Amino acid sequence: MNSSKVPGGSIREAADVGDVEREAHRRAWESFGNDAVQIIPILKAHMAAVTQETERAAMELMGYLQVLASSSAAITATDKAASLSKVVMAMQFQDITRQKLEHVGSALDQLQQHVQVLLEGPENPKAQQEIAALQRMERSYTMDAERRLHEAGGVSDYLEPVPIDIEPSKNETDSVTLF
Amino acid sequence: MSKTALVVDDSRTMRQMVAFTLTNAGFTVIEAEDGKDAVSKVAAGTKLDIVVTDLNMPEMDGITLIKKLRQLTAYKFTPILMLTTESAMEKKKEGKEAGATGWIVKPFNPDVLLKTIAKVLPA
Repeated sequence: MNSSKVPGGSIREAADVGDVEREAHRRAWESFGNDAVQIIPILKAHMAAVTQETERAAMELMGYLQVLASSSAAITATDKAASLSKVVMAMQFQDITRQKLEHVGSALDQLQQHVQVLLEGPENPKAQQEIAALQRMERSYTMDAERRLHEAGGVSDYLEPVPIDIEPSKNETDSVTLF
Repeated sequence: MSKTALVVDDSRTMRQMVAFTLTNAGFTVIEAEDGKDAVSKVAAGTKLDIVVTDLNMPEMDGITLIKKLRQLTAYKFTPILMLTTESAMEKKKEGKEAGATGWIVKPFNPDVLLKTIAKVLPA
């Protein structure tokens, strides 16, 4: 309909433009809201996994330290050397958890950036790009454990296996690739 | 004469754990906190027997570091191991193409690291 041919057409055009903008704004917020509702439980699950890893590593370290500190004749030098290796492995929880928390921090920064862009209104061309970017969060992961946890979609009872084995496993050699 | 290892990681704790493992095995260790720091430390033509580097680091990442080292005649054939939490196949391929000798996923087992180094060191 050509609204300029009817009296008050320009007012109606302005009203139509206003409706379109409001609808675009509503959709942008709805899209952001849907993504945020999915991502927030995933971020919480990552943080819970960090707590779990920290606790597990601390418990393991205590066990190995007991072996190292033992004066029992039954504990051989080989046992102590093995415990020392395990301590080095267990201590790496700090680096692993640091990276996971950094990724959670990046995701929170992204959420904040989205809210800022959306508050500027749907006419802002960055809004749609930002919504798409939220869905690319997974690309910032580096660990398989993080990707698995993301795939699990923040299921409340999902527990990621802690990547520190008490006993040597074939995973230790699987972790090496020679070119 | 002990062998010299360059250990590159932006995490101080990781650097120290790798250095601890290698020093206990008889290596002399040079530490660098990222690729740029590593390049500056080898600029004088330091003799290196092995390089162990992280992937994701500020200033210069591990892949760029490998490419830079491979451009230098002194390090064209020096074994370079990536030690990283990254396990994606496409990243490993990128590392291989840059000139990495091998790829170890963290957390590392000190015994496995030493055995892997023994395998890649020239006889």
